[in-house]
Amino acid sequence: MSLTLLEGSLLVFVLGCALGAALLKDTLASVMAFAAYSLGISIIWLILQAPDVGLTEAAVGAGIMTILFLIALANTVTPEVDSLLESVNLRTALLVGVFVVVMGATVPALPTIGDPNSAVAGGEVTQYYIDNAYKQTDVKNAVTAVLAAYRGFDTLGEAVVVFAAGVAALSVLRREVFA
Amino acid sequence: MSVDDRPGLYVESTIIMTTVRLVAPFVLTFALFIMFHGADSPGGGFQGGVIAGSVIMMLAFAYGIESTRQWVDVRIVSVLASGGVLVFAAIGLGTIALGGQFLEYSLYEPFLSHASKYAIELVELGIGAIVASVATGLFFLLSAGFGHVTEEEETQ
Repeated sequence: MSLTLLEGSLLVFVLGCALGAALLKDTLASVMAFAAYSLGISIIWLILQAPDVGLTEAAVGAGIMTILFLIALANTVTPEVDSLLESVNLRTALLVGVFVVVMGATVPALPTIGDPNSAVAGGEVTQYYIDNAYKQTDVKNAVTAVLAAYRGFDTLGEAVVVFAAGVAALSVLRREVFA
Repeated sequence: MSVDDRPGLYVESTIIMTTVRLVAPFVLTFALFIMFHGADSPGGGFQGGVIAGSVIMMLAFAYGIESTRQWVDVRIVSVLASGGVLVFAAIGLGTIALGGQFLEYSLYEPFLSHASKYAIELVELGIGAIVASVATGLFFLLSAGFGHVTEEEETQ
């Protein structure tokens, strides 16, 4: 597996931001690192030919989530920060390290990008969507066809989850109106 | 106590206000484009809804959260959130009423040509309405914080 310069630098950038979000002690800096991480990941989604996911990541992860975090920070008391980085518990670091190694060990088993013989691309279901999505649903974006038509019931569930999150926030904050 | 009352959080700036006033209509148009065009290009209700919600946050950034809260009609936010769920569910249940299965769009074909396409667009719009209003609502709720007392409650 070879990386282009863009992919390589994006990976380094995203890993750096993730480490920053986890280790920086100042919460504001941590939130900023998290936003930068989301932006980097959204570009990686684009490179992986998943513009729908990339758009969501950029809008939700880098946009709305950052604003909500900042608003939450503005409403809470920020403790004085005496050092730049969070002190790391050795046992936690060991556990996380082992977890990273285990997850990393699965990476070589993944198919290469665009591999026509990968299980996902060659699957019967995928082929059915590719063959019939345009004819049956009349939409040109197969992702939308799957989301809104073939898996429409799941999408209804997702939409209701968003609605329920709003209602839950209302009841937790003891409010009756969305404003 | 609201966010705007505290010193240093909101700075009134002519540059930011002018920029937001100019950019906001275009961002809202782009949000609707993403929602509608999700059928033929990347995008859809979730993404477009978030962008539409970010217009309100942009306005709050320029004009202050408290004045934006007063400008936005709370009834519209609630109607959009529940209306989106109802539209989606109604389209799904409508096909059952016509004797088919849940969300079997092609059953609308006798009433409308390209019914499947338009039903999917309508579903995307419903999702967009839910996401936009809940994002806006969460933003206002979080900025108000816990125990924010509205005026109606004070009079009780």
